[in-house]
Amino acid sequence: MPAPAAEALPGQHILLSFLATQSQISLTRLYSKPSACLALFRLLNALERQIIMNYLWLEGPVSSNTMDVWVTRDGRAPYEAAMRTLASLQVLPSPKPGSNMLQLSPSFKKNFRLALTGGGDHMSFGVPCEKDLAGGVNVEMLDRYAANCWESILHFMVSSGTDGRASRPTKGILYLLDRSGLMAGQGAPKITSEGFQFLLTSPHAQLWTLLLQYLSITNERNIDMVEVIQFLFMLSTMQLGQEYSTEVFTNTYHSVLEDLIDYGLVYKRNPNRIYPTRLATTLTSGSSATTSSSAVSSQAQTGASLSGNSTVATAGGGFIILETNYRLYAYTENPLQIAIINLFVSLRGRFSNLVTGSITRESVRKALDNGITADQIISYLVTHAHPQMHKNNPLIPITVQDQIRLWEQEKNRVQIAEGYLWKEFTASTDYNLVLEHARSTSSVVWENEQARMFFVTPEGHASCRDFVNQRMREGGGFA
Amino acid sequence: MDTSTTKAAREDPPAHLTLIVDLNPLQWELSSQASNDTPLSLSQFLAQLMIFINAHLAARDDNTLAVIGALPGYSVMLYSTDDSPPDDEAPARHQANSFQPFRMVDGRIASRIQEEMEKSTDLDGKTDRGLVGAITKALCHINRVNLLSVALTNNPESTSAMAPPSSQSPRMLILSISPDASTSYIPLMNSIFAAQKLKVKIDVCKIFGSDTVFLQQAAYLTGGSYLVLERRDALLQYLSMCFLPPASLRKVLATPSQDKVDFRAACFCHKKVVDIGCVCSVCLSIFCYPITRTSCSTCGTRFPLQTLKRLGYIRQPAAQANGRSKPNGTANGK
Amino acid sequence: MPAKDRDAYIDPDAEEDDFSAEEHDSVGSGDDFDQGTSSRGGKRGGLAGGKKGAEARLKSKGKGGDGYAWEGSISRTWDQVREDDGGSLELSVQEAIARARRKKLQQSGQAVRRTIIRHLVLMLDLSRSMTDRDLRPSRFDLGLEYARAFISEWFDQNPLGQIGVVGMRNGIGERLGEMSGNPQEVLRSIADRDKLMPAGEPSLQNAVEMARGTMSHLPSHASREIVIIFGSLTTCDPDNIFDTLEGCVKDKIRISIVALAAEMKVCRELCERTNGTFAVAMNEGHFKDVLFELIPPPAQLAAPAGAPGRSGPASSAAELMLMGFPSRLPETSPPSLCACHSTIKSEGFICPRCKVKLCDVPTDCDVCGLMIVSSPHLARSYHHLFPVQGYRPVMSMTQENPAGVPAQLACHGCSLPFPLRTLDSSANGGDAGDAAAADGISPLGRYRCPKCAKDFCSDCDVFVHDALHVCPGCC
Repeated sequence: MPAPAAEALPGQHILLSFLATQSQISLTRLYSKPSACLALFRLLNALERQIIMNYLWLEGPVSSNTMDVWVTRDGRAPYEAAMRTLASLQVLPSPKPGSNMLQLSPSFKKNFRLALTGGGDHMSFGVPCEKDLAGGVNVEMLDRYAANCWESILHFMVSSGTDGRASRPTKGILYLLDRSGLMAGQGAPKITSEGFQFLLTSPHAQLWTLLLQYLSITNERNIDMVEVIQFLFMLSTMQLGQEYSTEVFTNTYHSVLEDLIDYGLVYKRNPNRIYPTRLATTLTSGSSATTSSSAVSSQAQTGASLSGNSTVATAGGGFIILETNYRLYAYTENPLQIAIINLFVSLRGRFSNLVTGSITRESVRKALDNGITADQIISYLVTHAHPQMHKNNPLIPITVQDQIRLWEQEKNRVQIAEGYLWKEFTASTDYNLVLEHARSTSSVVWENEQARMFFVTPEGHASCRDFVNQRMREGGGFA
Repeated sequence: MDTSTTKAAREDPPAHLTLIVDLNPLQWELSSQASNDTPLSLSQFLAQLMIFINAHLAARDDNTLAVIGALPGYSVMLYSTDDSPPDDEAPARHQANSFQPFRMVDGRIASRIQEEMEKSTDLDGKTDRGLVGAITKALCHINRVNLLSVALTNNPESTSAMAPPSSQSPRMLILSISPDASTSYIPLMNSIFAAQKLKVKIDVCKIFGSDTVFLQQAAYLTGGSYLVLERRDALLQYLSMCFLPPASLRKVLATPSQDKVDFRAACFCHKKVVDIGCVCSVCLSIFCYPITRTSCSTCGTRFPLQTLKRLGYIRQPAAQANGRSKPNGTANGK
Repeated sequence: MPAKDRDAYIDPDAEEDDFSAEEHDSVGSGDDFDQGTSSRGGKRGGLAGGKKGAEARLKSKGKGGDGYAWEGSISRTWDQVREDDGGSLELSVQEAIARARRKKLQQSGQAVRRTIIRHLVLMLDLSRSMTDRDLRPSRFDLGLEYARAFISEWFDQNPLGQIGVVGMRNGIGERLGEMSGNPQEVLRSIADRDKLMPAGEPSLQNAVEMARGTMSHLPSHASREIVIIFGSLTTCDPDNIFDTLEGCVKDKIRISIVALAAEMKVCRELCERTNGTFAVAMNEGHFKDVLFELIPPPAQLAAPAGAPGRSGPASSAAELMLMGFPSRLPETSPPSLCACHSTIKSEGFICPRCKVKLCDVPTDCDVCGLMIVSSPHLARSYHHLFPVQGYRPVMSMTQENPAGVPAQLACHGCSLPFPLRTLDSSANGGDAGDAAAADGISPLGRYRCPKCAKDFCSDCDVFVHDALHVCPGCC
């Protein structure tokens, strides 16, 4: 089962680790579009961005020593990590052996410069169309559309198709979910433990997890992966609420487009014209700016006009209030959110805009059994905490946090093994003799000298029984 | 599946940058003259500045920007992220070649500068108070934005469209081209202290002309960088290396620091820079030494005779040696 | 003692402080203050002679029938809170804050002469009475905490001043910190809580005499002040304290006392005779307020000889002071010994007269005695001397705007647009507008600088006067 690429470094975007495994040729091709360079730049961390800026306007290669003198003593380690990342992305390739001259990859340099200065004839930022006022397409409507598409996928996952209200996603999505191991089973797929974990991650992470999966199957479908990434990057640099023409799109773009419409990244009303949704335009901006589905829906409910400032949207996104007595109040009527909360909360009451429940040992055990970890529950609670909760320090009551972790440890404390308990030995010699034999077959799971008891696996049990019977028959001193 | 990936990926808060652009037409005229080693005209400068602005905005979606122009005699806000976006431009095919936010910001700033420059052609006789005005405006703006973001976090229900996200490290970059104006000393110093209180770093890039002592102090006192452009053809490289990194990054990548800061003050009477001076205890006016007056020119306080005598007496031999006999006589005579 | 007296002893500049403005505004009268004093005095049954005044007042207004001050004049602060249409309190809270701010600003504006070169002895009561826990966590801990905050803030506003610290413990005055202009040094002297543990009785006289000795050599242009944080209701003196008081009056030392328990006749006497202020802290917040009122430099009257009682020590002593402006050595310079601590250091400041290296400014050069300041230090005090004029609230757009001049769309400071909402409501007229006008609040949220006639929003108004001290329109 293809897992999302290589192990991501802490703090690094998962796409970057995926890209780092790609060949230099693919990457160089990827950098041939200014929009791709810009989007990639935004995925990097602040230090990596600054290093790129330091090299960007230099014409020739520079000795690495020249740049190293600017690094402070404390900054050595992060600086070297950043240089490694840039080298792995072929943005700032490591110098050839025996030389310490560094420069940006020519393709990246040229096209990133173009992105900053504008100009050229690459059409990589999307060709905008005349405003179509009659369509009734506005930002609010796009947000609702994107939220619906995305949430129906998640809702399908969480209900595993048992809920009639959850519409069945398209075949492509089902295949993707299956391939990524989020759901398993032919015909009537069931959510896996990875799937449960997936549900608790941020929408931004969810989106990228699926998109990476999508990228990894491009080979099977004979689609050029580099072009897919370029297309995603292009979408991410488009403006929300603006309609774009698809006339200049390549064939690859067109085929990918159909899939992205299913995911809710793109809205298509007229032929040859598309609207990117907020899911698409925030692909490469900071995760803080990513619209969470809850934020979108809450805005859709209140009908608040969007200012285009997506962070405002996320600020109002939290809806969970958790008290120190384990009671939880969730201000939502979104079936998906309720279903997700239901994963680890025992729900008590449902009101028009509010769901109440409490976190209990059973409810957390159920979640843990599903493969969800305590940390995931806590981080979900943190990210979706109601703004009122932000006045608390720490955000989530410490008792509840600790208890959830304790419940997790409790679960790990008990190990289940099938087998037999041997006890009631009359003499310690007998005990030791049989134990020696059991040890020789390495079937002892547990032993207690004082109580003269030990526990063996079923195979060991048979062997021990034979051993004892044989001794008895031989007239050994068994009582 | 890495749950912590995206959360940890953005360790730094969004950055706010306030740019103060010195638009003194006279100085730009001087700067662009071919007699300079590397002439730099306003339009060349603006082209590079736009790229710098784009680089700032490119780094993060929620980076904010304010641009204030300092013109002779007044200052004006040229662009701020809080501004409502302008009417939509007609879409055109060539727009596909540039990132829309960049195009919008650059276009706005360029057209506003154009407007202001045309307005100010007949103002060259005015004093250059514009810079301090610009700094005070910038501070007011940063203060207001801070207040708004605090209000926003306290009251998340409000859907105020103009509240930008809170940025914890507001910075100010002054692109200076005019020389110091001694009249603006007190307001400038007050602004610097206000900036200290707001924890705003002031960076100064001296593009043309001699060192300005006041701005040097501004950078030093607020923990910013002061840089005299040595090669003006490499402006963009200087800007992106020294002034782009936000405060958090400056711990990793050093920015140029100042060797020696001049803390000497200018005397109020002759505007001479002094290292030992006489200070009025009432209003702290600084007078150069030896004293030539019996009362303070600022607050009118009369100084006691014996003090003058004492100070004069001590200094007398030296004063005569310097060929200055008059001050002492005046002090005693009046 | 009439109720107004208290205010009369506060310097004009003290009026602009948080406490006076807010207290009077939210409570509606100064009565609340007296309440605190007398109730506290009653609770303790102390020997506070000065309580008389409070009690007299209490009787005069206690005729309402209920006899006790704390029952008589409850100011119902909650009555001032109103909900708006949406049921939110936000608006009225903001209004209350804005009003307090405005009041505070109304009073400043005209140029006053202030003492800039200040010398202060901070006296901490370290007697047993400081262990009392009526202020949380205890008088001692809170007093120490606020004393530290006081010192930092004091140096921020009086960069050329110097502070010495004296403790009162076991009947004697203890010198905790020498007069110093370096905030770090002063703070270090009261950093160690364990060394300051309260014990025994305090002695006002001993401590004041000690402070007087410390300040006796100071030049005449410098102010001499004593600030006492006093928790005890007794003082254990070897001699007649009124002789000491006469000495202080003669030396022009200004004594201010913040009492934590109740008012004492001798304390009030000390303050009144020396033109200081006396205050009793009612609670933790009030303690901080009254203490911090003492931070801004005291104003001098414009005519120095005009009012003998008020002119203060510095009025007759306008002086020319010789000062040196050092240059700073960068960290990269070769290390050498400094004159003040004899340690090897790279960075430092060079005395312009004798070229010796000093660690920190402002200070007096250890070798030649020249006062070394950096020009920013001088400049930091300028705003006390050249304050920004208070802005006037704009009441209506039609009246105040000269014909033909288009109204400003955005604040001249922050360049953010003025709210349109308030414009509409004011067009309708209405009571709210009138009420606000009386409080100096503009219904339009606009405040106009009288000098440059530019409009500012209320946030910028406060910021300009509190922090910036420069009008963006005038400069």
